[in-house]
Amino acid sequence: MTINAVPDHVPPEMVRDFSLFTSPGMASTPNGDPHAAVACVHAGPPIFYSPYNTRDGRGTWVITRAADQRRVLQDAETFSSHRSIFSSALGENWPMIPLELDPPAHGVFRSLLNPLLSPKRVVVLEPKVRERAITLILRIAASGTSCDVMKDFAFPFTVSIFLRLLGLPDHRLDTFVGWAKDLLHGDDVKRPAAARTIVAFIDELATKRRKEPVDDFMTFIIQAQVEGRRLTEEEVRGIGVLVFIAGLDTVAAAIGFGLAYLARNIKDQDLLRREPDRIVLAAEELLRAYPSVQIIRVATKDIDFEGAPIRKGDYVSCAAMIANRDPAEFECPNTVDLAREDNRHAAFGYGPHRCLGSHLARREIVIGLEEWLARIPAFRIQNATAPITSGGHLFGIENLILDWS
Amino acid sequence: MRIIVHKTKCQGHARCSAQAPDVFKLDDEGYILPGDIEVAEGQQLLASRGARSCPERALELDPTPAARVVPDAIEPRVWRA
Ligand code: HEM
Ligand code: SF4
Repeated sequence: MTINAVPDHVPPEMVRDFSLFTSPGMASTPNGDPHAAVACVHAGPPIFYSPYNTRDGRGTWVITRAADQRRVLQDAETFSSHRSIFSSALGENWPMIPLELDPPAHGVFRSLLNPLLSPKRVVVLEPKVRERAITLILRIAASGTSCDVMKDFAFPFTVSIFLRLLGLPDHRLDTFVGWAKDLLHGDDVKRPAAARTIVAFIDELATKRRKEPVDDFMTFIIQAQVEGRRLTEEEVRGIGVLVFIAGLDTVAAAIGFGLAYLARNIKDQDLLRREPDRIVLAAEELLRAYPSVQIIRVATKDIDFEGAPIRKGDYVSCAAMIANRDPAEFECPNTVDLAREDNRHAAFGYGPHRCLGSHLARREIVIGLEEWLARIPAFRIQNATAPITSGGHLFGIENLILDWS
Repeated sequence: MRIIVHKTKCQGHARCSAQAPDVFKLDDEGYILPGDIEVAEGQQLLASRGARSCPERALELDPTPAARVVPDAIEPRVWRA
């Protein structure tokens, strides 16, 4: 871990010993509740400085109020997302698109991609999503009365939806699950190796589709025009890599945290099983209570924000898990109320970078819960096991062993 | 009832149309169509719920609906303090 000195312009009284990486409950914890752990910041000021709040050990300002996070994320001119996180880990410098582009370039690519994952398009994708969920759950139901939900269901489900999206057959599912695992959860050797493999795969797929176009996502991308020209190889790669990594762990974590909640709250579980029409609304509340993403922006100029002297180049953190527990925005934010109305949560971010996959993600989560509850009887967390939660850039849950014996 | 649409704030969450698809129409990218919305009788409850569901605060319930509908000739200014 790199220890960073607090920059000189940060007033010492604004520094807090808090971080989504190192605070209590953020490291891998059996039976942990990292979302409840971060909610404690609402007892403090609206903005403070955290000296260690990124994977590579940098400090960030932390914005705690939902309304202020909206202000930051809606103002992409002042708060930029140009960071090249993925490629810099490979010693390269190309943006993931559209995530690491700022307006106006961002809007050009966003408009190109929006129709591919629009609410209308998701209606067309839905039957395949349901079919995948049912196949996986039937296999689980047939093989016993317990399973590791993340390994056996959530992760293969999201990876196979990605394959469908790219028009790839399922027989390579295990290979892809392996890459994704190494990339998202591997050590310092496995992670860059997996990243290279994925880049090579995306490049190869693009080359193939250039030679032999078919009716799929990648063919659309390589044939598309922006500002009267075709996309460069680097742009195609930037889009392909982002779509690969953006929808795997995020959706899997949402399903995992959701099922863990239901396993521990049998009444809610029974209610949703008996009245599945409630699942759409319940899924929103589970996304509110257990979101997975911490967004980070870079200040493009000096700005005083709610009394904090943010200077050009400073990192600014807008964590959905913090916004979603803001008492100014949500009544009883630490209570899970599956019938909560007007639930304007921040799980998919705010502003121009609002999750492009949000409509698909919502359907995946709802369908996953619907099919699970329809096919698996009352389930609990297996005796003598403990799901392991973790904080960080992306909150997650593992070793979630459910039992319905 | 009338809903003021701040089109530039819309980021395509599509929460409004999930609540009230007949009131809130989206374009092919999934963003709200421009122009304020005059809500029909009978859809007001759904419409206000839809407006309240927008994470970006792009939809505003017009606070003075009568003032916009009722012409000045019928309701002279002097009546309103
Ligand atoms: C529950 C699941 C998901 C969550 C919680 C989630 C969350 C987010 C968040 C918070 C952002 C904004 C990041 C930022 O502003 O820096 C984002 C962006 C994005 N997400 Fe998701 N996501 C999910 C699923 C998906 C899926 C399934 C896909 C693709 C199929 C996807 C594709 C993207 C893309 C392409 C962006 C970048 C959009 C842009 O920069 O304009 N996400 N996501
Ligand atoms: S909910 Fe708001 S941001 Fe989303 S489509 Fe409707 S108006 Fe746009």
